[in-house]
Amino acid sequence: MSHRGPVRCFTDVDLVRQGRPIAAGAFSSAAVPAERRDGVVASSPPPGPAVRADLEAVFRRDYPRIVAVAARVLGSRDEAEDVAQEVFLSFGRSSVPAGEACGWLSVAAAHTALNHLRTGRRRVAREGAVAEDPVVPDVADAVVTLEERRRVRAALARLPHKQAVALVLRHSGLSYAEVAAAIDMSPGSVGTTVRRAESALRKEMNRHASSD
Amino acid sequence: MRHPTEGVLRRLVDEPAGVADVDRAHVADCPVCLVGLATAREDAAAVDAALRADTDVDVATAWQRLSTAPAAVRRHPAPARARRGASLRRPAVAALAFAVVLTGAGVAAANDWLQIFRTEQIATVSLSPADLVAVPDLTAYGDLEVTGAGDVHEVADAAAAHEQTGLAIPEVGTLPRGLSGEPTYQAIGEVSATFTFSADRAAETAGDLPALPAGLDGAKVRLDAGPGVAEVWTHSTGAPALIVARAVAPTAYSSGVPFATVRDYLLSLPGLPSDLATQLRAFSDDGKTLPLPVPADQVTSSDTEVNGLPATVLSARDKTMAAVVWVDDGVLTAVAGALDTDEVVSIARELR
Repeated sequence: MSHRGPVRCFTDVDLVRQGRPIAAGAFSSAAVPAERRDGVVASSPPPGPAVRADLEAVFRRDYPRIVAVAARVLGSRDEAEDVAQEVFLSFGRSSVPAGEACGWLSVAAAHTALNHLRTGRRRVAREGAVAEDPVVPDVADAVVTLEERRRVRAALARLPHKQAVALVLRHSGLSYAEVAAAIDMSPGSVGTTVRRAESALRKEMNRHASSD
Repeated sequence: MRHPTEGVLRRLVDEPAGVADVDRAHVADCPVCLVGLATAREDAAAVDAALRADTDVDVATAWQRLSTAPAAVRRHPAPARARRGASLRRPAVAALAFAVVLTGAGVAAANDWLQIFRTEQIATVSLSPADLVAVPDLTAYGDLEVTGAGDVHEVADAAAAHEQTGLAIPEVGTLPRGLSGEPTYQAIGEVSATFTFSADRAAETAGDLPALPAGLDGAKVRLDAGPGVAEVWTHSTGAPALIVARAVAPTAYSSGVPFATVRDYLLSLPGLPSDLATQLRAFSDDGKTLPLPVPADQVTSSDTEVNGLPATVLSARDKTMAAVVWVDDGVLTAVAGALDTDEVVSIARELR
């Protein structure tokens, strides 16, 4: 499973410490996790041209994996890149500690992509373009049809937000502990949450498969 | 005792170390939980496959877009150079090339080549798709030159394959049910890949580089592998059903600076997941173990023995194929096919 992959991008990071728990609905589609510096909660990064000095280094290091997080939600590299750009722009104006950047960005990308998926802020002719998005060729892909991918993402949009975020982060390679920290949940309940989300999505896949 | 929750079963699928021993012991002996575990595993694999998408991105172009976006971010001009070699564009290929060059390869060419690695065994490095796209494309950090006897080509029979490669051609004892007849034979000559580190290239790619060790600019790492031969049995549909392959396993050499210097510096550059870097470092330290990158979401690996030698078994999570790989005195042999793991191991053990 991809979840076993060693992404581990924010070990020892407590995202909750940065502000209110990054939970369901914490962001608008263009917003990012709130920060708390010295006890002051800011609901969005400060406007203006001040850009953090390490933005380029973090971008070059983390951009592919942040696109990958968003692509799991949206199924399209182009749309995922749009989301990643949005998230990095916000990051550039934030003061998230550099060591916590990858985790912060992953959570922000999952939230933002899910919001895009739900609110229909998607590119025109999106479904038609799915066929043009090559996926990594492998045996598993051969048995996952484009229609199944479309249905799974439709079902993903209907899941409770927290379930959907947990699922996406886990399938993006974050450990149970990292997912737990990211969405303010006990590590013990991450498995249950992810399991329920997968069960719901699988049911959706099977329901249509059996009625086809 | 009570059955563990569905969340515990789910964690057993992909993070078993996080599950309490008592729960693991229960599940191992509980038919009800084993069914639940199998269902959880199937659901996780199906969802993972359905959510997977192409994420092969061009970071330089993306950075340019960000740095020229309204309300952004211009610190200094971004390099726009197209830097990905076509042959390395696919992330999996890039990852493989990266791991292979890092861990080295062949016969000594010039006198100043120092052997740094000779394959004696194999271990898998689990990669997720996210890792594959994160692994740096080596052509972004220097020049990668591949030389050698090029394409795989078909040869007439086992005798011809032996003559061209010098390898003992394995004979299969008993073919699996449904297969019969003679295989086709394919051969490939020795292949050599030389990576020359370029500080300029790396700086274009990675921006501000960590301090460059003396002598690193222009240092070379060379990997030699092959020749090799494959015997292929096909189904009536034309799909390969069983492949038995043998090749001279990779050996690596360095020149200019110690190999560890090149390796550690590359590993310090942006883009490589830290756990993967750690695994690669560990694997190369003994100079004997070839890390075989496998996509952890699609393939599981386990250990076995083939005629007294340690061997690695790979199995597709959807059970559509399996393979076993081992190394004997610098020669790598693999048996793979649309079979289950017991069958490939059995064939491997009966090779003559």
